[in-house]
Amino acid sequence: MFHWLEQKPFFFAVVLFLTVAFAGFVTIVPDFAKQSQPTVGTKPYTVLELAGRQVYIKDSCNACHSQLIRPFKSETDRYGMYSLSGEYAYDRPFLWGSKRAGPDLMRVGNYRTTDWHENHMMNPSDVVPGTVMPKYPHQFTNMADLATAYANANTQKELFGVPYDTDGMPKLGSWAEAEAQAKEDAKLIASDMKNQSVKDAVANGQVPEIVALIAYLNSLK
Amino acid sequence: MDQETLLTIQGYGKFFLILFVFIVFYSYAYSIYKRQKTGERDFEKYSNLVHDDFLDSCPLEKRDNSIEKND
Amino acid sequence: MQSNAQLEYDYSIVKAFTFATILFGIIGMLVGVILSFQLAFPELNNLAGEYGTFGRLRPLHTNGVAFGFTLSGIFATWYYVGQRTLKMSLNESKFLMTVAKLHFGLYFITILLAVVTFLMGFTTSKEYAELEWPLDLLVVVWWVLWGVAMFGMIGMRRERTIYVAIWYYMSSFLAIAMLYLFNNMEVPTFLWSGDAPSSLMHSVSMYAGSNDASVQWWYGHNAVAFVFTAPIIGMIYYFLPKESGQNIFSYKLSLLSFWGLMFVYLWAGGHHLLYSTVPDWMQTMGSTMSVVLILPSWGSAINMLLTMKGEWQQLQTSPLIKFMILASTFYMLSTIEGPIQAIKSVNAIAHFTDWIPGHVHDGVLGWVGFMTMASLFHMAPRMFKREIYSKSLMETQFWLQTVGIVFYFTSMWIAGITQGMMWRAYDEYGSLLYSFIDTVEVLHPYYTIRAVGGLFYLVGFFIFAYNIYKTATAGRVLDKEPANASPMAS
Repeated sequence: MFHWLEQKPFFFAVVLFLTVAFAGFVTIVPDFAKQSQPTVGTKPYTVLELAGRQVYIKDSCNACHSQLIRPFKSETDRYGMYSLSGEYAYDRPFLWGSKRAGPDLMRVGNYRTTDWHENHMMNPSDVVPGTVMPKYPHQFTNMADLATAYANANTQKELFGVPYDTDGMPKLGSWAEAEAQAKEDAKLIASDMKNQSVKDAVANGQVPEIVALIAYLNSLK
Repeated sequence: MDQETLLTIQGYGKFFLILFVFIVFYSYAYSIYKRQKTGERDFEKYSNLVHDDFLDSCPLEKRDNSIEKND
Repeated sequence: MQSNAQLEYDYSIVKAFTFATILFGIIGMLVGVILSFQLAFPELNNLAGEYGTFGRLRPLHTNGVAFGFTLSGIFATWYYVGQRTLKMSLNESKFLMTVAKLHFGLYFITILLAVVTFLMGFTTSKEYAELEWPLDLLVVVWWVLWGVAMFGMIGMRRERTIYVAIWYYMSSFLAIAMLYLFNNMEVPTFLWSGDAPSSLMHSVSMYAGSNDASVQWWYGHNAVAFVFTAPIIGMIYYFLPKESGQNIFSYKLSLLSFWGLMFVYLWAGGHHLLYSTVPDWMQTMGSTMSVVLILPSWGSAINMLLTMKGEWQQLQTSPLIKFMILASTFYMLSTIEGPIQAIKSVNAIAHFTDWIPGHVHDGVLGWVGFMTMASLFHMAPRMFKREIYSKSLMETQFWLQTVGIVFYFTSMWIAGITQGMMWRAYDEYGSLLYSFIDTVEVLHPYYTIRAVGGLFYLVGFFIFAYNIYKTATAGRVLDKEPANASPMAS
């Protein structure tokens, strides 16, 4: 039987594939249903926060920062309550990271403020001497992509049933409504910032990347 | 079917599948050993597939076209 | 040479992929060295505006070496080993030749586009699957083309039995096809943008949160298995016996460790998610299976080392054998180190630290890099029909790179364990002893040593590129193909 198999490339490939695929089906598939349930109080991201999340991904913040607090005292003392599966129910993609060149950011919104982030992103070593983090001045001049953030949110709503526009959840509405709302949210963030060109841009109805990013970071709690 | 039953099925399924693969794997190992021992098939000669790999050299085992048609 | 005087193996595709291996190797490794210096000297991040920061460059490095350098090496050796052990030539089929050419062309374009899009910030953020959806589709096309070429060549073979090296290439093709498709399930968001002028390049993952993480590390771990392990074992099962003139120590063992590896490897992905929010049993399973994985891995590694039985003096006379033996030694090292890190209590310290990149680089610099370069060295005299240009350059490269790797992994071991211990240190009053920045500042010397080690390896790679270039253009012409020991000018 084995001899026959070794000389028949087609059947050989089939058996090989089954051997390889076996583990994936057994381990991953059955747990899908249970895990995607959100924890009580977890809400989907607003359009501005999603735009900030896209900035986070664009500059690969996740290459150096995790968003996963493990259940050890040394981690909960440092970063807060350990992570629960349901807290990630609206994270597409997940951003757990795999390496902490910098600290965990899962609950950074609890202990850092808008002006702290503003100073830190402009020049990290002003705030944390000895840091190895790059400066991100380009986030103060590049504009956030609200339209894509809206498309992102709308896709999640339409396709994956993420409960936007339901009771107690963020409102999405049409693109025009969402854009106006995001710009209102941006003004709130900008009022805590001191960089004049960012303030001017927001007053003119634009949203620099840094504003969206800070909105996202503040939402991490 | 509730979650609990699903998990039980999954657990048993996994156990018996691994057991099955385990048995197949070791019978494969045994069959290789036995075939070598009885001289039914010499596995070590396949190293020559590397040493004698010129296009015009004679294949170690020719493909038999009559068998090939049943592929 | 009598009966088929006009028919020869066709190496044009092999040459093209060899070129790609060297080009993408230089790009990927150069970016890697830049990254390592950025961690030691952060001012280097802002030399090229937003395009030069660590975050933008990191996917370029990982994808550049994995899918640029290593895959090119795999494809180059596939078209070489495939033709030779199946005893068929690409010249015999116009169709397969066209497929192979298309395969190369599309692949090359994809990797170039990847460089551009990563610098622009188009990434899905999932490690080793960062390419955005249009490029993912391109990848699928040339992956299928590779499959067509592979099974086409196997179908035309003259040799009845398929040599074990080919098994490994087949497994790489099949497994990556499955893993890549499932992990990259994503929806382009412009399709549901309403009337918002959204970007065409953006997509959103079909899975959320913990599920996304499970799928990602099932993929991430096994991309390592089927890019960095299986096809490289395929390479060594051809090139080591061929170069040394020795038989494989035990062909039977090679078959058994093949099936063992195929079955066990896929279970181990859970060890990337220990203490996370994926189900507990998945974590335990990942941890246990990682330890079981030592058996088939060491089965292959020992088989390679014992192939040299009775012929160890070749290690002194041939730098090529040296490359391959050191590669299998590093394979042993990283396949024991990995399971150690997968033990839950060790992982509690090691996870998120520099020990992990240290472990990865044992494998890729020592095992994948050395084996790929050794294969290219072995193929060069056969495809260019010239002697290898310089043995002494090979020796220099070997020692430079070996020292580089030692610098790399020793500094990262120390850095990782130091940081892991500092994160969890408490003082006598029960408060955390170190703030996060303390644990960063302490790493500076190790980051510097690592960067220097990486630089050594890169310089070695430039020597390699030069040596291959000179072999192709200025090596002494050979009148006859060498059977084993590759000829090299001192």
